[in-house]
Amino acid sequence: MKNRLKVLRAERDWSQQDLAERLGVSRQSVNAIETEKYDPSLPLAFKIAEVFDQTIEDIFSKD
Amino acid sequence: MVAAPTAKQRYLRVHIGLSVLYVALVALASYVVPDDAAPTPGVVFWSILPGLIVIGWIWNMGRYLFAMEDEYLRMLETRKALVATALTLAVSGGWGLLELFATVPRLPVFFVFPIWCLGLAVGSLVNLATAGTSGQDCA
Repeated sequence: MKNRLKVLRAERDWSQQDLAERLGVSRQSVNAIETEKYDPSLPLAFKIAEVFDQTIEDIFSKD
Repeated sequence: MVAAPTAKQRYLRVHIGLSVLYVALVALASYVVPDDAAPTPGVVFWSILPGLIVIGWIWNMGRYLFAMEDEYLRMLETRKALVATALTLAVSGGWGLLELFATVPRLPVFFVFPIWCLGLAVGSLVNLATAGTSGQDCA
């Protein structure tokens, strides 16, 4: 699954650690999602969408 | 105000406590049970008493896994346990067959849990190689 996490994070000038703290997860989790090594669960995807004030579909897309 | 311990801290505290108790019970059993003793109920009791700590270790690991809030790190921990289980089954099963057909030293069943723990270390290396992180909770 592709995602725009890195772009959205850069637009806000957030580090991976900043985003991790906002999501309540580890920096490794943010890195794994960003590099598409790990697809988040639905609850975490909703949380990511909430943090960026966007819909899940705006952030995640099929390969 | 003192911060509440994290899941990792709770896990480590219980693990260290159980380990100390394990060493004490093994020492006590060694003292109480004479060499080459017949398997009387008392001997069996003292012999399996330290084994209850092994159950405690496993319970503590399971509790830690459930307490982890970070789903990605939990996935890595679960993968470590799966690697450890696969390795333990392979080593014990393979060595068992070797014992059956060849004259090799017997592998005491006692070693199965330590082998599984070594498997966790191998699981960490697998995580490091495939995910770029060993899966240690850095939060």
